[in-house]
Amino acid sequence: MIHSSFINSFLEPFGYAFMQRALLSCAMIGFTNGFLGTFIVLRRQALLADALSHSLLPGMAVAAMLVGLSPGGLLLGGLIAALLVALGGALIARNSRLKDETAVASLYIIAFALGIVLIRFSRVKVDLTHFLFGNILGVSNGDLWIAYAAAFLTLTTLVIFQRPLLLTLFDAAVARASGVRVSWLETGLLVLTVLGLVASLQAVGVLLSLGLLILPAATAYLLTDSFSRMLWGGAVLGLLGSVSGLFLSFFANIPSGPCIIMILAIFLGAAYLFSPRYGIVARLLHLRHFHEESLERWEGHQGHDHEMLHPDKSFQSGDHQEGS
Amino acid sequence: MSLHHEHPLLRIEDLTISYHRIPAIHHLDLALEAGHCVGLFGPNGAGKSTLLKTIAGLLTPETGQIFIGGGKVSGTASRIAYLPQRETIDWDFPVTVEGLVEMGRYQHVGLLGKFSPTDCTAVGDALELFRLTPLADRQIKALSGGQQQRAFLARAWAQEADIYLLDEPFAGLDRTSSNALAEALQTLKQRGKLLLVSHHAIDEAEALFDSAILLNGELVSSGPLPEALAPRHLECAYGTAIYSGEHHRMKERAHQI
Repeated sequence: MIHSSFINSFLEPFGYAFMQRALLSCAMIGFTNGFLGTFIVLRRQALLADALSHSLLPGMAVAAMLVGLSPGGLLLGGLIAALLVALGGALIARNSRLKDETAVASLYIIAFALGIVLIRFSRVKVDLTHFLFGNILGVSNGDLWIAYAAAFLTLTTLVIFQRPLLLTLFDAAVARASGVRVSWLETGLLVLTVLGLVASLQAVGVLLSLGLLILPAATAYLLTDSFSRMLWGGAVLGLLGSVSGLFLSFFANIPSGPCIIMILAIFLGAAYLFSPRYGIVARLLHLRHFHEESLERWEGHQGHDHEMLHPDKSFQSGDHQEGS
Repeated sequence: MSLHHEHPLLRIEDLTISYHRIPAIHHLDLALEAGHCVGLFGPNGAGKSTLLKTIAGLLTPETGQIFIGGGKVSGTASRIAYLPQRETIDWDFPVTVEGLVEMGRYQHVGLLGKFSPTDCTAVGDALELFRLTPLADRQIKALSGGQQQRAFLARAWAQEADIYLLDEPFAGLDRTSSNALAEALQTLKQRGKLLLVSHHAIDEAEALFDSAILLNGELVSSGPLPEALAPRHLECAYGTAIYSGEHHRMKERAHQI
């Protein structure tokens, strides 16, 4: 009896339409942004994406002044502002000595200041608290369509261009030389990043939207040596974290954004400590392992000086030991 | 390969390359045949990396043209493989040796095409040729320096490149790894590939290469060894007589006495 009542209370949230919409939206955005995150982490553009996430806010403020507080208008405003910052930054970086992170950071901070000034002159009272911290339970059917569209566009584009993107991420110069249109791909990635940030606004808000992009991919990066496993692993981790974060938020009555990010943070912390190959614990154990191995080799080789003088022999035998 | 009698595999005509309108290489003319391992020498700033990058298509020349097998360089990108300097590569990238070699096939399989048996064989052969089969599942950082260089050569082999451009591949390698890399270069040369390798140590030239190009902002000499690196050419390239093989041996003799 206790068992069935536990299940019932666990299933309780699914009974509400707003909760169903929230779950669907969370699952899609978590999966998509987890997938996209691999590209951002491997391009080392986490902080660039952070700057972009902040540039959403002034865009939304201006949109609120112009068209009022309708969610569609706000998201469109944020999207346009972030695209202007992203593409403007890329343009400045290409045509001047400034590097792209400097250009984007300059533009976003200017946009931010401009947004604050404009709000001062606004007659409408603009309150964007929902968008700072997210309000997943307020997801409307319209928001759900935005999430569908963002997920579909992002996933199909990334899957189709996975190979040239991999070449670009690994070595942009060589990719360019072998005929890959690197600057197109880089611009495309920027646009998708902005789209991913906008789509995650409802779930986690402006301040935490970066988390859905970075944390799952960073976790997957610590767990695998395969690009495609990092991609899909990041997506699955993003989905798991978003959905379980939403449950936590429902039962503990805490806002959804911080809950989702905390769950993703636990994943990352666990991988940082316990990843079989790159975790701190494994590294400490390996250190001992290597120490013992070298001690053994030293004792085994004492009195065989001629072998010590031929590093290639010992090197090759070491090779086979590690490979097997 | 019979074509190369009419057209050299790589021909460069009147090539000038500038950074911000300051020329790094002036009016260079060169013709190189398949089946050679060519050392590229010259003092720092002589334009060695610049030349390699331009042939690879990374830099746009100010004047002049590059021909591959008689055709213009555009559209022949897969015939050229550029091996970047080691420090430009992110060794923590999530890719295994096999994954790296598979990248060489991407131009052949296209965006979404599946790897055909031919592609898989090409990858397997490349791993085998450079003795990397037992290391296929290793992440690229978990290799020695020489194995890393061989992995990039294997990628170029899988790409079916004819021209291999290597920028200081021996830098930072220990003797064992250097020997293994030199052996790999010889294998490629014997299979009819053209290798163009920038290198700093002139006293090692004859052990590694069959011909050489000496640069100093412009072409000083080129051709088979030892003629291309004759003392008068070296003097011209480096300004003064420098530490060369002959001097080295004389010094050693002096020490022994």
